[in-house]
Amino acid sequence: MAIQHKWGMVIDIDRCTGCQACVIACQAENNIPVNEKVDFLSRRAKQWIRIDRFWEGEYPNIKARFIPVLCQHCENAPCEPVCPVFATYHNNEGLNVQVYNRCVGTRYCANNCPYQVRFFNFFNPKFPESLKNQLNPDVTIRSRGIMEKCTFCIQRIRRAERTIEGKEGRVLNDETMRDGNYNPACVSACPTETLTFGDLNNPNSQVVKKSKNKRNYRLLENLGTDPNVIYLKKVDPHHQKEGHHA
Amino acid sequence: MPKKFIWVSLGLGGIFATTTVVLVAIFILQAWWGLPFNVLGWNDPPVQPIAFPHTQHVAVDGISCAFCHRNVLEGDSASVPAVELCVFCHKTIQGDEAPPEIQKVIDHYNNNVPINWEKVHRLPDHVQFSHEPHVRFLTETQGLGLEAACSTCHGQIRDMVEVEQVRRLKMGDCVDCHRNNQHLTENTGITDCTTCHY
Amino acid sequence: MLISRRQFLKLASLSTIGAVACNFFDEEEFIAQSPVRLPEDLVTGIDNWYATNGNGPETEGLLVRVIEGRAKKVQGNPLFPTNKGVSSIRSEALLQELYHPDRLSGPMVRTGPRGSKESFVSSGDWDKSLEILYKKLYSLVDHDQMLMITGAKRGSLAFLIQEFTNTYGGNHAVCKSVDELVYENTIKKVFQQEKFPHFDIAKSDFILSIGGDFLGTWLSPIKHGRGWGEFRQGEGRSRGTLIHVDSRFSLTAANADEWLPITPGQEGKLALSIAFVLLDEGLIDKTIADDLTEGQGSRALIDFAPDTIGDQLGIPHVRHRSTPDIIRETARAFAKHGQKSLAIGGGNAAAHTNGSFNMNAIYLLNHLVGSVNTEGGIIFNPSAPIPELNVSLKPNSMIEMESITKKITDGGVKLLLIHGSNPVYSMPADLRFKEAINRDDIFVVSFSSFLDETSQMADLILPDRVTLESWSNDIPDPGPGFQVVSMGQPVVNPLPGINPMAFGDILVRMGHELGMTDNPTFNNASYYDLLRNHANRLFSLQRGSITKPNFDAFWNTLLQRGVWWDLESIGDNQTLEIPSLIDTIKQKSEPAITGPSGSTHNIFYLVPFEHISLTDGTNAHMPWLQSTPDPITSVAWTSWIEMNTDTAKGLAIKEGDIVNIEGANGETISAQVYHHPAVPPTVVSMPFGQGRKSGDVYSKDRGPNPMEILGMPHDKHTGSLAWASTTVRITKTQERTPIPKFEGIVPAYATSEEEAIAKVTNES
Repeated sequence: MAIQHKWGMVIDIDRCTGCQACVIACQAENNIPVNEKVDFLSRRAKQWIRIDRFWEGEYPNIKARFIPVLCQHCENAPCEPVCPVFATYHNNEGLNVQVYNRCVGTRYCANNCPYQVRFFNFFNPKFPESLKNQLNPDVTIRSRGIMEKCTFCIQRIRRAERTIEGKEGRVLNDETMRDGNYNPACVSACPTETLTFGDLNNPNSQVVKKSKNKRNYRLLENLGTDPNVIYLKKVDPHHQKEGHHA
Repeated sequence: MPKKFIWVSLGLGGIFATTTVVLVAIFILQAWWGLPFNVLGWNDPPVQPIAFPHTQHVAVDGISCAFCHRNVLEGDSASVPAVELCVFCHKTIQGDEAPPEIQKVIDHYNNNVPINWEKVHRLPDHVQFSHEPHVRFLTETQGLGLEAACSTCHGQIRDMVEVEQVRRLKMGDCVDCHRNNQHLTENTGITDCTTCHY
Repeated sequence: MLISRRQFLKLASLSTIGAVACNFFDEEEFIAQSPVRLPEDLVTGIDNWYATNGNGPETEGLLVRVIEGRAKKVQGNPLFPTNKGVSSIRSEALLQELYHPDRLSGPMVRTGPRGSKESFVSSGDWDKSLEILYKKLYSLVDHDQMLMITGAKRGSLAFLIQEFTNTYGGNHAVCKSVDELVYENTIKKVFQQEKFPHFDIAKSDFILSIGGDFLGTWLSPIKHGRGWGEFRQGEGRSRGTLIHVDSRFSLTAANADEWLPITPGQEGKLALSIAFVLLDEGLIDKTIADDLTEGQGSRALIDFAPDTIGDQLGIPHVRHRSTPDIIRETARAFAKHGQKSLAIGGGNAAAHTNGSFNMNAIYLLNHLVGSVNTEGGIIFNPSAPIPELNVSLKPNSMIEMESITKKITDGGVKLLLIHGSNPVYSMPADLRFKEAINRDDIFVVSFSSFLDETSQMADLILPDRVTLESWSNDIPDPGPGFQVVSMGQPVVNPLPGINPMAFGDILVRMGHELGMTDNPTFNNASYYDLLRNHANRLFSLQRGSITKPNFDAFWNTLLQRGVWWDLESIGDNQTLEIPSLIDTIKQKSEPAITGPSGSTHNIFYLVPFEHISLTDGTNAHMPWLQSTPDPITSVAWTSWIEMNTDTAKGLAIKEGDIVNIEGANGETISAQVYHHPAVPPTVVSMPFGQGRKSGDVYSKDRGPNPMEILGMPHDKHTGSLAWASTTVRITKTQERTPIPKFEGIVPAYATSEEEAIAKVTNES
């Protein structure tokens, strides 16, 4: 019998402290070259997951809101139909896939992504010789001229499928995924358990349970992109009305 | 210089040039779809630092593939054996009066120098391939023996003095097999791009 | 140039494939290597996860993913009781420490002038280098002239350092400028505890936090973060509330339900004012109230009544309430949750000349509501299971460091060993540590793995193994409320060409060669043996999470899990004496703020803070840590100064403008201004952590370190550096450079009310 997974993530922004642990964990896992000073200055820093910070109110009644933003893996993704070479598409596991070897670098997808989570390699990545020892052999190093973005750490999912489902013949669910260190790097690193990863098709999974929370919403819901990343609203007892400024 | 001569030489040159271009085009197109023609040493089996005869070890001695390539049943790469493993047998087999090729192995061991074998099969970086699930599928689901399973992609290694690549191992090769066997596996995403590319 | 056929083929395939696909075709791409020997557990392409421990100020149990002998990824150890499977950015960067391009490859000796990078040459093999150290130790006539400076250490290494200095007869100092001395002293006074207690954030209902950025950098942010998730949205509990009082907008302030800005140094008075309300309004148990105030009740605190001192605290009208109202409401909220209320503080609240008073007042609040040694309150930690592991080398105070530096200046130190700290950089510039050791009659040995400001001043550098290559153990401090011993093992060997030696091994060997074998510690063959002996002591207790019939089984399980714990062995809660509040009231003092004088329109309080990833600068050479954007300002790779947006505009200072900052000691540094909407108008803030003057390409020339302009004010009771007690004068220069920050890289993509990205609700 075929097992059909649909990967998804729940992000409870009431738990998020904005500590950036997920950002660096992602860079370490996915062979993202270090964002140099010049990358920040030229606005080309790559962070597959980033923490957006919004200000709300004026001093002294001022609040900072943190929200981790990564590829939303939309069911109805705006980036997909604009790719002339089908390098990005939605697969039957709920993932928005970027196929590096198909990509020709038109950057249409990044232009069409409302969440701004796609990053273009303007240059070949550079790693100091000795630091290459740290590179993850499971992840392709993206060369100049192609797009890259969050993959939900597909390399870990694939390992989990090979090992847990294949070799060991066990069921792939929340517990086996976590115990084998197969959760995405950001999820594994988050100190406050803001991020939860799992199978949206499994009614017993944590993501399904948490996504039923009454605080749930999706980013830019009115665009109808139907993301597989579900957010839970921040709670602020003193909050007056919805809305904030950047 | 007579005009006729110029025309003839231009014509001959044109024919020659056209032929060359066509030949090169055929060569490139053929190499694109399959293994390149064996021209000027293209596609020769690589010359290994030690002439290791699989014929002797597999066909005559009957050693199982997984005895030396011990990771093939559990890991991503099949792995070449440690020199230690070679010497494990060759300490006693022709130990004293070793033929030069075996002596090389023993020298590597004694001098603590690894052997750098030339790769025969090599996949580009953007392809993620793991031996273990393939061997498992071929042996468990398809019911092949281990050697037959290996031969599916690597050919009759037992008959090769110098190992060479027999299948193209282009993407079409992979996808054909994945497509044909999709109904036999639990993994429905087997023809998905992210099966191999991530 | 002759090209063989094989090379030609390689080049041909290189160019064709290289054009099509990804990069990095090294020579190794074309070979499959047969290693001479292959360990049984090494399967190519299969990853092994080894348990070890991080070596930073906060202990983290780690799992390291190793493929074919190379460490690839660090994650938290799920079994470890403090971090429970998650890890900090600092732990992540241990990989970069391991594979850093600028790591020293082996022992070095100085041949040229002191303080120059070019002066060092490789000293050959280790035996030769250790011979130099041995001769120095042996020939020193007066052993009192040996000084060892280390970082704050715990576990067996601390024990070994202590035994070495005690047996040899030298002196020992721990050097850390942003220390927790005041906090430690407060814990001793208020709770009579030696070990830092555990804050039960997960089960607490209300936290009043004053000063300490406990979610960002203070004490053990990862451990606090584990509790924080539960505190906010744990299953089966209502959402906890945090009120944070701080003179700067820290990460904790950003996450608080309410942030109360306060004038630096006034934190203690606020705490006592809250105590007054608790007593005056009868919000707490009367017997406790009488005990604490010796029967005087709220009369004892009449000087701190909100209406009396409200104006002195500098708290603005948060949510349009007057300061006395804010204090009263905070006190009522604090009392409402009784034993599930937690009052914690530290960081810049302790870094004042009246730091001890502030901290005493804050922690006494826990006694008032009875949240000491209760679920959801402050839980005490036990001492280590065996006395050898109970040794904890805590930082020396700034006053002690002054006298140590004076001793060096006066020529009283002939041999200086420096391990795990960088005093030339991290100490306030006014200590003049660099000038002190810049003399001919002192022999400086550094055990640093990198050429930093201090090791550059050394005569001999004996590079230590880095964390992921070394044996270690540790006692988490603060622990989780029960006994924990963490164990670290080398997960990989050093790269070929890198030839370090563990500091512990050197000490054991020196002790042995110097004939200190009367002390059994130096009869061990190596540091590893010492660790095993200590583990054996742990094994013979036959309790806790690992009980095995024989030691080998115990040792293997210990290495596998990376941690031992005993849930039954909890902190001492029998002998708690509640100290009198009256004593604290008597200590009341105003902070002495030092700084430039003159016209006041451009004078600000300087409230420095520890950088989220670089902390006090010890990690500044890790590229990942440099590239981590500050959570609030999103600035990376540089130092900056935070100014209130409106105030800066008033002084015609634009973002990115370089300003001169004149500090308390008269020195001036310059930094880029960041327009910060949430900094109090009277305050400017700067991170510690940058300002490395030498070192590698990653850490060098990344903006100034506020440590250079602080002078050396200190807390009256402990002598700890009062790094938040100065003012600065800001003057604009004509220069301006853009700030490297993440903010703005992603265009504002939805800010209207309907499309808000970070949605907020007021229903929990």
